[in-house]
Amino acid sequence: MFKPLDPLLHSELRLAVMSLLIGVEEAEFPYIKEQTGATAGNLSVQLDKLATAGYITVEKTFKGKRPCTLCRITPVGLKAFEEYVETLSQYLNPGAPK
Amino acid sequence: MEEKTNMTAERSLEIIRESIERSQRTIAKNSGLPLMWWGACVMVFALLIEYLWKNHGGPAWHLLWFVMWVVGYIGNRVIDKKKEAVPTTFVGKTIGHVWGTFGIFCGGIGLILGLIGCGVIPVKCVVPDIYVNSLLFMNITSIISLCFGIASTIMGFVLQNRPIQVCGLVAGFGGFFAALHFPMQQMYVMAAVALIGLVIPGLIVHFQSKN
Repeated sequence: MFKPLDPLLHSELRLAVMSLLIGVEEAEFPYIKEQTGATAGNLSVQLDKLATAGYITVEKTFKGKRPCTLCRITPVGLKAFEEYVETLSQYLNPGAPK
Repeated sequence: MEEKTNMTAERSLEIIRESIERSQRTIAKNSGLPLMWWGACVMVFALLIEYLWKNHGGPAWHLLWFVMWVVGYIGNRVIDKKKEAVPTTFVGKTIGHVWGTFGIFCGGIGLILGLIGCGVIPVKCVVPDIYVNSLLFMNITSIISLCFGIASTIMGFVLQNRPIQVCGLVAGFGGFFAALHFPMQQMYVMAAVALIGLVIPGLIVHFQSKN
């Protein structure tokens, strides 16, 4: 019996955002937007969903006089991502030991 | 990218791989230029000092190394401002700390020797009498080459890049022994060490991130 995939991560854009954030300390909103190719509106909505679940933190700050939105992955998000990848590997290699 | 939730496991894996690779390429693309810039600075100043020393005076031209630090720093700031904003990564930070530490040690040794040369610090305060005429101590190029090699090799290990590791080893060992064997061509050795230990690794990082 397969473990169900985390529905919050099983979405193209949210998964791409989490994959970006696991490799960096923090990332600015424009960088995530450029890397994922998402629209600003859609990205904001998905970031909110991830933040509400506690997977990421979204900090609104200033870079000089320019507003800046910083996103960071949280330990909860990291654990959820690890579990997601582990479950995914079970789907891809059903015979492999857990 | 849209809000699609009916993905297969293969597609999920592909998204993870693509996102990580694209992000790594963007970050790496911007890290080769500072290496090339600092390497070029060391090469140009080493050859300039060699020329001026031979044709227009003595070792006092070594004070130009301090001008190099200023030129290098200003150029580095310009590169930082012009390159696209990328997030801070553990790898990027580690490489920055490695070269920062190299700069502190080499700059510190250079400053102390410079102060000795200017007579601000008496030689005896820094070097015991028995070492004053020792070639090994005075051959600072050997020591700096070794530091270059260590920093470059660590960077190769952090980036998991075999050609950069080889460059670091060649620059470190090659520079150390070449400077001992050819004390009159130390500035040429320094230029070669900068080429192998900084410029070539910078080019490797730059071009690998483009492919």
